Amino acid sequence: MNPSPARIAARVLEALRKGERIYTAVVTDSADPGLIGRRWWSSGRRHGGTLGSPSLDAAVAAALPALFPPGESRGALSRDFEYRDGGRAGNARVYIELHGPPARMVIVGAGHIAIPLARLGDMLGLRVEVLDDRPDFAAPERFPEATAVRVIDFRDPFADTPLAPHDHVVLVTRGHSFDYECLVRLLRMARPPHYVGMIGSRRRVRATHEQLLRDGFTTEEMGRVRAPVGLDLGGQTPVEIAVSVAAEIVMFHAGGSGVPLVEKERVVERFFGHRSPGTPSPSTRTTE
Amino acid sequence: MDEKELMARLAALEEPAVLATIVAAKGSTPRKTGARMLVGTGGVIAGTVGGGCGEGEVIEAALELFRGGGPRTVRVDLTDELTSWSPAVCGGIMDVFIERANPDHFGGS
Repeated sequence: MNPSPARIAARVLEALRKGERIYTAVVTDSADPGLIGRRWWSSGRRHGGTLGSPSLDAAVAAALPALFPPGESRGALSRDFEYRDGGRAGNARVYIELHGPPARMVIVGAGHIAIPLARLGDMLGLRVEVLDDRPDFAAPERFPEATAVRVIDFRDPFADTPLAPHDHVVLVTRGHSFDYECLVRLLRMARPPHYVGMIGSRRRVRATHEQLLRDGFTTEEMGRVRAPVGLDLGGQTPVEIAVSVAAEIVMFHAGGSGVPLVEKERVVERFFGHRSPGTPSPSTRTTE
Repeated sequence: MDEKELMARLAALEEPAVLATIVAAKGSTPRKTGARMLVGTGGVIAGTVGGGCGEGEVIEAALELFRGGGPRTVRVDLTDELTSWSPAVCGGIMDVFIERANPDHFGGS
């Protein structure tokens, strides 16, 4: 029997509970109406259902690694596939989803910024973990949204926090020497998290990079660190800084430019011949 | 309602429902590929495929599945409404796949 969307949903929830990746596929369009709505799923070595054609199942299974980068834990897309079974052949449009354990936001440093950042990370659908060496700060009651709050030793900060490529690490410790210790560990990982951000002024970030260079890291490795972390919003308070970091993480995934949309689209200027309102950058500001 | 909540709702359905999923989106659509909505005989149960922007059209199409219609893709074109004052001025095209969420609850049809 063709697995129903309700059945598939139960299977996805089960996979996520076990921390497994699962792909689900459904035929959404085909010249053969008998294929439309047929479903197939695959998780680890197990799979079930069918798209109505063995060669179509095989084509979709073979395409999965290229369609969904290993670093991503979520995905949804439609692609056209060909199938050929005996005398039957044709095309089918297949909608495929990937569901995986959510990526994490690991916040190192449980101070002022960590509190709003943990909340925002949770709202973005990330699994939030907070690390600090001070038990008073790394206290679960301070971070109700976090799935884990750990007291760590900065000599080996990620000892109990194995990191995957799709994770995000934000370094906001109370001292730059601690941030530095974490950074060195992260850069030396065989498969480092794809998003590593460190807070700091230009001067302090420069000092960190000078130290990295002295410790033998290449400029290419240094360039992988997002420091200073966040988008340039001009905010100062812990909440404002957390918003700027969260915004950068959204941009990192969604591929935006971080530019205000009013400046990117310039609707009034383009279509009405007048500079649009908003905040002109200093270079384009005109004096009356 | 986040994705996981909607999944849980979908897995636990006890009344017939139609699932609408955005399977492709181009241009400026309010929700992106992967967004879902559950429609019952009385209207939307959970989720959204974009609110004012084309959602009414999807709900209409979904309701047909309670009257015996089969699964199909509905193309919602929001690009031709730019000059109207309707709330659907978004400027994108999306394909929404609609199907019975739990065929075993649909009785004899």
